[in-house]
Amino acid sequence: MSAAAPPHPTAHAGHLITQTHADVTRDVVGTLSPPTRGYVLLLLGAVSLFLLGIVTFLVLVKDGLGHAGYQPPIFWSVYITTFVFWVGIGHAGTLISAILFLFRSPWRTAVYRSTEAMTVFAVMTAGLFPIIHIGRQWIFYWLLPYPNSRFLWPNFKSPLIWDVFAIATYLTVSTTFLVFGLVPDVAAVRDKASGWRKTIYQAVSVGWKGTDNQWRHYSRAYLYLAALATPLVLSVHSVVSWDFAVSIVPGWHGTIFAPYFVAGAIYSGIGMVITLIIPLRRALRIEHMITADYHFDNLGKLTLLTGSILFYAYGMEYFVAWYSGNIFEQTTFYRRAFGPYWWAGWTMIICNAFVSQLLWFRKVRTNLTSLFVISIFINIGMWFERFVIIVSSLSNDYIPWAWDQLNPTWADWGILAGSFGWFGMWFLLFAKNFPIVAIQEIKEMIPMPRKRGGHH
Amino acid sequence: MPDDSQHSTVDRRRFLTVLGVSAGGGAMALSGCSTDRVQKLVPYLVQSEDQVPGVATWYASTCTECTAGCGVHVRTREGRAVKLEGNPEHPVNQGKLCSRGQAALQGLYNPGRIKAPMARSADGGFAEITWDDAIARLAGKLGEAGNRLSVISGAPRGTFSDLLAEWTTALGGRLVRHESFDHEPVRAANRQVFGLDQVPAHDFGKAKYIISFGADFLESWGSPIENQRGFAQAHGFTGGDVAKFVYAAPRRDLTGLNADEWVPIKPGSEAALALAMANLLLGRQGEDRVGLTAALASFTPAMAARETGLSAQTIERLAGEFAAARPSVAVAGGVGSQHAASTEVCAAVNVLNFVAGNIGQTVRFGADLPTADGHAELARLSQAMDAGEIAVVLVHDANPAYTLPKSSGFAARFAKVGFKVSTSLYLDETASLCDLLLPQHHALERWDDARPRAGVHGLMQPVMEPVFNTLPAGEILLRVSRKAAGALARFTAPTWDEHLKTRWRALAAELGEADAAGFWHAAVQRGGVYRDPPAPPEVGLALADGRLSYTRPTFEGDGSFTFLTYPHPMLHDGRGANKPWLMENADPVTKITWHSWVEVSPGAARTLDVRDGEMVELRSPYGAVEAPVYVYPGIRDDAVAIPLGFGHTAYGHFAQGRGVNALDLLGAPRGDFVPYLSTRVSVRKTGAYRKLASVAGVPRQLGRGIAEAISLEAAKKGLTVQQAYLEEGRGKHEVNTELELEALRGWSEAQRRATEHGDYAKEHPQWGMSIDLAKCTGCSACVTACYAENNIPTVGESEVLRGREMTWLRIERYWEDGEAPGAAPAARFVPMLCQHCGNAPCEPVCPVYAAYHTPDGLNGQVYNRCVGTRYCANNCPYKVRYFNWYKYNEQAWPEPLHLQLNPDVTVRARGVMEKCTFCIQRIRDTQNHARLEDRPIRDGEFTTACAQACPSDAIVFGNVKDGAARVARVKQDSRGYHVLEDLNVRPAVTYLAKVLLAAEA
Repeated sequence: MSAAAPPHPTAHAGHLITQTHADVTRDVVGTLSPPTRGYVLLLLGAVSLFLLGIVTFLVLVKDGLGHAGYQPPIFWSVYITTFVFWVGIGHAGTLISAILFLFRSPWRTAVYRSTEAMTVFAVMTAGLFPIIHIGRQWIFYWLLPYPNSRFLWPNFKSPLIWDVFAIATYLTVSTTFLVFGLVPDVAAVRDKASGWRKTIYQAVSVGWKGTDNQWRHYSRAYLYLAALATPLVLSVHSVVSWDFAVSIVPGWHGTIFAPYFVAGAIYSGIGMVITLIIPLRRALRIEHMITADYHFDNLGKLTLLTGSILFYAYGMEYFVAWYSGNIFEQTTFYRRAFGPYWWAGWTMIICNAFVSQLLWFRKVRTNLTSLFVISIFINIGMWFERFVIIVSSLSNDYIPWAWDQLNPTWADWGILAGSFGWFGMWFLLFAKNFPIVAIQEIKEMIPMPRKRGGHH
Repeated sequence: MPDDSQHSTVDRRRFLTVLGVSAGGGAMALSGCSTDRVQKLVPYLVQSEDQVPGVATWYASTCTECTAGCGVHVRTREGRAVKLEGNPEHPVNQGKLCSRGQAALQGLYNPGRIKAPMARSADGGFAEITWDDAIARLAGKLGEAGNRLSVISGAPRGTFSDLLAEWTTALGGRLVRHESFDHEPVRAANRQVFGLDQVPAHDFGKAKYIISFGADFLESWGSPIENQRGFAQAHGFTGGDVAKFVYAAPRRDLTGLNADEWVPIKPGSEAALALAMANLLLGRQGEDRVGLTAALASFTPAMAARETGLSAQTIERLAGEFAAARPSVAVAGGVGSQHAASTEVCAAVNVLNFVAGNIGQTVRFGADLPTADGHAELARLSQAMDAGEIAVVLVHDANPAYTLPKSSGFAARFAKVGFKVSTSLYLDETASLCDLLLPQHHALERWDDARPRAGVHGLMQPVMEPVFNTLPAGEILLRVSRKAAGALARFTAPTWDEHLKTRWRALAAELGEADAAGFWHAAVQRGGVYRDPPAPPEVGLALADGRLSYTRPTFEGDGSFTFLTYPHPMLHDGRGANKPWLMENADPVTKITWHSWVEVSPGAARTLDVRDGEMVELRSPYGAVEAPVYVYPGIRDDAVAIPLGFGHTAYGHFAQGRGVNALDLLGAPRGDFVPYLSTRVSVRKTGAYRKLASVAGVPRQLGRGIAEAISLEAAKKGLTVQQAYLEEGRGKHEVNTELELEALRGWSEAQRRATEHGDYAKEHPQWGMSIDLAKCTGCSACVTACYAENNIPTVGESEVLRGREMTWLRIERYWEDGEAPGAAPAARFVPMLCQHCGNAPCEPVCPVYAAYHTPDGLNGQVYNRCVGTRYCANNCPYKVRYFNWYKYNEQAWPEPLHLQLNPDVTVRARGVMEKCTFCIQRIRDTQNHARLEDRPIRDGEFTTACAQACPSDAIVFGNVKDGAARVARVKQDSRGYHVLEDLNVRPAVTYLAKVLLAAEA
């Protein structure tokens, strides 16, 4: 191993040492065994939701966006809310796989593959929304700078163009990172597979043989990719936040938005990781690889940190609204707490700022039931955070005569459900077809004496 | 390249070629989706002499939507009328036109028009027949009927009315002219007080003080456009004093909301107030020049206070103010105060005007305004129909089955007549009861004339080929005459057009014009002949017994609320209900569209425990109706109100089944008019709810300075809004230090300079607008003009409920003050449209440059480029951008309504953003003309559609760079301010603050 190799075990990682390389390979490859009935039902559920989303989308394309509950002045609502929600989800993956890799946090090894997969699929989901939500979906590519006979370029001053670049970059880099990280593991699986799967694995593992030379290049490249992905964790959601912060809508126009959104994104992403992994580890029978005392404890701490940053950001938003003396900001924030959207405003504050404070207790962090419940709160809270920022701010800006409230319809819920179906479908397919736990990195954590007897 | 392929399958050049072709193909296939269908352009086979494709032809004509008889200019393109505007030469409207007048276009192209003559078939429906057949049938029936014929028509208009009268007389039939809101009480009062069987004209412009006893002169009463012009003249601010306007009525209508003081008197007590004021005036004058002391003696302030519910001091104050301002004007006779003793009210107001010396000054007799026959005539006819004395009835230009209360039993009696004929253009309530439908031409399709007043002879001319197989009503009469002969043999004119021309030759002779042909041509060109009105006659008192009476109002029914009803400002008596522009252009007072509502005061709403949208049932002795509540601070606690004009059972799909007909609660007309204010109703909450289709958001300004106002004193001193606030101690001092202000100025200047590059540095005009809130009455004529000019789709009730109306220009109505219990808030109207910001927030956020800035200062919106991200609308602080959520363009104009579309303006497809363009098509058209003639644009050469229509002339548009331009001068006014100025978006629209008189502040 070169100096830049994945981290070595520390004292905390002692719980893994009972396993041999052979055990690890067997357990992980075991996750790829033929699907159970439960899995098939879940997958069918996800696909049905996705189909519902497709039908909704087709109706929107046929008749116009009118089916959704838009009520001017609320020109953005559930779709953009869900877009930001999914972009945010995507952030945990890169944070865990890249930043924690650079910071040598060994507890990431067991969870990073699933979070990375989650990232790619979440960004894939988010990337659909800019197309779904525009009025003329069939010319979405006008947002791209492509050479054309009209000699027209997109407006690089518009945050929406920044968004296009940010999302596209993030999708590219996180996909590369995921696929790259998969290479040695897929090679391991390839050697045990047969039939069409073997063909796929052969393609993905790009002739990996596990030679020293390959390992040297691989580790080096992995490090660089991690370094490349790290700034994206901060930049992508900052850019998404500027969709709002660059505008003059009271409630959007704030300098705190970029850090506030990044913290929120990581918070929501880890929430989603916890929601996904707790059932997954049981379903795939890898409880001993991802443990409450170690992995979830650490995830809980990260949640607590980002949740507290959010708490501060919420407080600061209210403080600045009051301190600025700007009546538009003041009205917006007063109405956020006591106006027609008070319920959404308080849902966001309770779920994000208050519930996360429970994680100060180690007992809460290491109890999977409480952690799972908290993660559900986080998912709900973070969706509502975006809903509050977008909808409640738009519902009461400068001209009181124009104020109105949103009335979401089946078309809003159809697309929202479809996005979960789309995401779930990919995640389930991935979990059944690719090693959801990083084989080689776990193996590296196993102390030398036990390394015998396994496939390298 | 077969050889090459062996070596490399794809080289760089080939890759790019394939990429380019497939991407291009994909783009073509995708963009192909947005072109709905390919339409063919068909050239003229024979080029018409006066039609140049792409060039508008204008025709002068006369509006027939109400009896005011305004002159119109009809813009036609490629042989189709596309817009109606006021005729600047016409003395009545002087170039302005109200919403109803403009919407005549939707009457012309209405999908509910009867497309051909029809007869009742055996199965009870209507079957199309030929005109020959139709004429023969009518002639045959007339032959059988003999003198058992009766004709019901609208108010007399001109030559046709004369012909109709002669024709009916020749047959020995009876003609009843029925107009739903006629001025019968006014006429009766003038007979009583002055011995003149006339309706006078009013000159509001001259008045220094105006008091209205329930006459809604800005929307329905009299000649609204003329009244608005006069009101703006008297009440608008020009540097000096302003006429105070007091409104005495139980409910504030749009006219009432423009009053400086609302006196919410008890329903039916108007006469007591007017007479007490006259009495006080007489007392102040010292000597009794008019000999009324005795007659007025009993009308003391104390008596009036008892009757009206006002304090005696208030009455004395009003009388004092009224006496101090000369000339003044008092008006009465609106539907809002039309009760059993309505003639008394009008007589009392006559006396008040007489005592104040206004007769001959602001109240001018001898105007010869058209009057109908009164309801008593119609009631007699109705009885005759019931008794079977009538064999044939012909209905022309009237819809009594709808405009009369159900309790009159008109429809049932009408149905008893053996043969019923209608010339209606639409299948309205009366026409659907008829046996023979002879649809006449629309006013824009025929030759006709109108005499709205002495000295004014308006002419109508066909501006286009008829849309359907119809005939002018005059032609129908003449053809029937030819067929029936007999008594009708003397109507020998070969055609209606010939008949009309003959009359105009006689008119030329009458007016001393030798050259009859030249006279005719000039009249066709100018839309008529306008002579100075004759000098008003000497008017003296002619009170028969020298006495004046006041009857304490009595109401039918024992409910706890007095029921008020009034003409809907857009729908009038219901004739506007089939025109989507009028249905969707919100009622200026309540801002509700498409359906009826019940106005309940906030106090009464508390008592009844009802809120906006909760359904209530109103029950009177004559019937019951259900409608949602609108809590309205401009109505007395003991009254409820429903507008007229809704609840059609026929009249096309825009009108049918929407709302309720308020007339269902009223008793039959007694005497010569419908007592609209004569019933008490009980109000019961039904428990049902119906969201109001209102376009209002939050009707309070919340201290944001959107519709600013300053006191008259401050305005006279030339203070700005900010200065006036500081002087009153209400304003906030700027907290910025001098240094900070300097920095802000520098930043602002730097931003401005940054725009002066490239094309922007060249000499371009800068288009700008000013809107004077002291003149704006909120009438919304500008909104209709905008719909008409810019092909704005009406979206219908369900979309209005979702806040998706497309009003590029909307009138916001804010309530001010009145927070204290019992205190009435004042209304502030502010027209809100794209402000064409110099530093527009919408522009930089558009990812595809669909929103961009033109060098001449407009916020352009490229529909073709717009992908519909809607970011611009989010970032627009004025919220004046509108999105096509659905394919409104395919729903708003059912055939043949689509013929109204202005070919100069793109019809927007779904999925794109749209907004006010400052009528860019007019700007470019004028620029093109100027360039062809090699001259600069002249100020006032053109204006936007809204400014063109505004009856108060509150909107001024032009090039602000041209220092001499009117708009540039108006913008210098000290009252000028920008809405949300602190945002530094630099709007091109300057508002001039409203001027408040003491009573409102």
